[in-house]
Amino acid sequence: MKDVGRHPRIKLMTLSEVEDVSGYVGNFNVKVRRKARYVREADCTACGECATVCPVNKYNEYEVGLATRNAIYIPFPQSIPSSYVINMADCLSKDVITCNKCVEKCQKRCIDFDMRDEIVELKVGAVVVATGMDVYDPTRLDEYGYTRFQNVVTSLELERLINAGGPTGGHLVRPGDTKAPKRIGFIQCVGSRSHNRGNPYCSNICCMVTIKNSLLIKEHYPDTEITVFYIDIRAFGKGFEDLYERSKREGVRYVRGLPEHIEEDPSTGSLRLKVENTTAGCIEEHELDMVVLAVGLEARKDGDKIRHLLSLSQTSDGFLAESHPKLMPVDAPTRGVFLAGCVESPKDIKDSVTQASAAAARAGVILSSDKIKLDAAIAVVDKEKCTFCELCVQVCPYSAISASKQNKIAAHVTEAMCAGCGSCAAECAFGAISLRHFEDAQYMAQIEAALAENPQDTAIVFACNWCSYAAADLTGTSRLQYPPNIRIIRTMCSARVNEKFVMQAFKLGAPVVLVSGCHLADCHYMAANRSTVKRMDRLWSRLERLGIRPERLQLEWMSAAEGQKFARVMAELDERRSKVTPEEIEQTRKALEAADKKKVA
Amino acid sequence: MADEIRIGVFVCECGLNIAGFLDCGEVRRYAEGLENVVVSTVNRYTCADPGQQEIKKKIRELNLNRVVVASCSPRLHEPTFRTCVAEEGLNPYLVDMANIREQCSWVHSTDRKAATEKAKDIVRIAVARARLLKPQKENEIPVTDAVLVIGGGIAGIQASLDLANAEHMVYLVEKQPSIGGVMAQLDKTFPTMDCSI
Amino acid sequence: MTPTEKQSKLKCMRCGHEYTTSDDLIKVERACPKCRSNSVRRVGEKK
Repeated sequence: MKDVGRHPRIKLMTLSEVEDVSGYVGNFNVKVRRKARYVREADCTACGECATVCPVNKYNEYEVGLATRNAIYIPFPQSIPSSYVINMADCLSKDVITCNKCVEKCQKRCIDFDMRDEIVELKVGAVVVATGMDVYDPTRLDEYGYTRFQNVVTSLELERLINAGGPTGGHLVRPGDTKAPKRIGFIQCVGSRSHNRGNPYCSNICCMVTIKNSLLIKEHYPDTEITVFYIDIRAFGKGFEDLYERSKREGVRYVRGLPEHIEEDPSTGSLRLKVENTTAGCIEEHELDMVVLAVGLEARKDGDKIRHLLSLSQTSDGFLAESHPKLMPVDAPTRGVFLAGCVESPKDIKDSVTQASAAAARAGVILSSDKIKLDAAIAVVDKEKCTFCELCVQVCPYSAISASKQNKIAAHVTEAMCAGCGSCAAECAFGAISLRHFEDAQYMAQIEAALAENPQDTAIVFACNWCSYAAADLTGTSRLQYPPNIRIIRTMCSARVNEKFVMQAFKLGAPVVLVSGCHLADCHYMAANRSTVKRMDRLWSRLERLGIRPERLQLEWMSAAEGQKFARVMAELDERRSKVTPEEIEQTRKALEAADKKKVA
Repeated sequence: MADEIRIGVFVCECGLNIAGFLDCGEVRRYAEGLENVVVSTVNRYTCADPGQQEIKKKIRELNLNRVVVASCSPRLHEPTFRTCVAEEGLNPYLVDMANIREQCSWVHSTDRKAATEKAKDIVRIAVARARLLKPQKENEIPVTDAVLVIGGGIAGIQASLDLANAEHMVYLVEKQPSIGGVMAQLDKTFPTMDCSI
Repeated sequence: MTPTEKQSKLKCMRCGHEYTTSDDLIKVERACPKCRSNSVRRVGEKK
């Protein structure tokens, strides 16, 4: 930590927030708000005299409320920068200077009530997002009585209670009566791995946190009886199983089963719980002096702002999505942005450090080049044809397009921000946007060529480069067999599939058409395939209105690993194809030609 | 004529991976009959050096301005053939691939006739696309050698130090009055059981 | 991730199964509960 404070090439801005980001890879413009500290950072020696005279006592965030702090304070002794700060919301002089005691006390004269927030503008080539996570607040789980019972604490509170620098000087006491607890229970998975209470995912760290804390307690207070209530102990990391075994050797008892609820004996402050020991197959009753809730981690509640500023996407658990879960695990979907630490998923210190170094290396690849090449396959606007409808702006997952209906400003693509999914080109009803190297005319020619001979025997499949086309390749590599009547047309993203491609295929006699792409949450262009879903709904309705069986158009999501699914889907599609009669195809052709004529007329 | 489309179709046998399951010669003959196709050849391994030399030679001798390689998946060798034609002065975006291995010979290995017919179709589709391909330019943009790190917890600290030590300018932005994040609140940490700060 | 209260009617274009869901139809991957196909179409209520 100290190294950061004194590194010549690190400009540290604390009490600061990113307010705005514009630009693109290699050339981001960032606005940062530096909030007033009211103490001149460079001059403060952290002597602490000011705090001794401050009359205000407030919740100490660092000690999670187990201690108080003054309105002028240092977050913790090793803070970087090593400087006091005034929380102006707490200060008696927030509107009019009424107190002024700290100012009078400060010999260095570094307290300045006139400081104001400042906006700093930065130019950077890359961004690393390492905004971390929130710790689950178990107040919501009333059955465990957190905040109702004083001796039910969270694992983070326990960290402070056993820390030599903490409010008790490292003496473990229970908050209710400051007595040393003799019987401690840990309840695992609080806020994790539950579909109805908290979050459905595993928070990754809580098993090891409990094991570690049980060892620390045993080291200082060997007589303490420790019981851990768990669903599974997940000690998968290097050296983790050793710690688990050591904890068991030290006498920590592990009981497989979570208690339903906790009761308090108001006279002693002790806690009682019943639990079904699912290993022994019996109900156990426990009386404990203190219960520690092993709370999970969750996505930051204030994470939306950064996510929107950088056009990032989140997975269903609220953490930020990476570009690819296996092959680009630290790249964010926006080029030039990288993810590190718990903002991406819950992880321990070692994994955070590993990911941070990986993110630094990935960012370094960009920063070390004078110039970077942009892919040529990006969207381009024909301004003559643009009607300012803004539909392209709405479907672009990267916010790379600007246009204004109100001011009649034609669509404009910021080339460095465009990733080339082609959703805009598929959405534009006026043919005003096209994707270079993947143009409408090229696709129409491919469809025509595919159906040039024996269209009634041909099933058209649109497959996205990253997943379903890769699944088709895997089907081949695995030598799985499927009927030979399938003609695959590759798009970079399923969102590139213009509705007119599908209609063209039907017009030219295709019995069936399949649109396929990455699973909804795995889109390689953030969430562009959500546009595919909307278009499919529109297409099915349109086909129905034209008297064409909507069942002739199918949709399947397939990951690059689903070669077997691909082979199965192809076999089924061919089966469906074989049932479409020549009469039906002819009817479709006529219906579509009639519809075309109507449009022209 | 300057804008006459002149396509070369290079059918790959891929050893026996393709040639073992379909008739490459028939595919070649079919390709040569397609509009705008000037030449079609069969190669044992088109991606190997002799195969690439053949492509370059034909571009040179016959003034080809589009290349279709009928072989494996573009996910595998498109970069290879883009580089190959670029070395001969052709824009790398004027190449298309007909995937007759992963999506044909390997998945229809018991029906030689059907696989051959499908391969012809795949080539026809690729040639149709190739006719309409346009040269593309990859734009270059300058890079500002500085990085913004948002968040001063353990991950932000580590990323900042690595980047700063690699001679890049780092702006580390932290919301709280001190860096350290949740890590600074922890007592000893696993697996080493040493202190966190 | 609280599901929206709104119920939507869906029909599988593969097996014909009809069902209702309170899932967000755009954000949550649609899969027919009977045959697992993704060819699930939103039916009823016209926009």
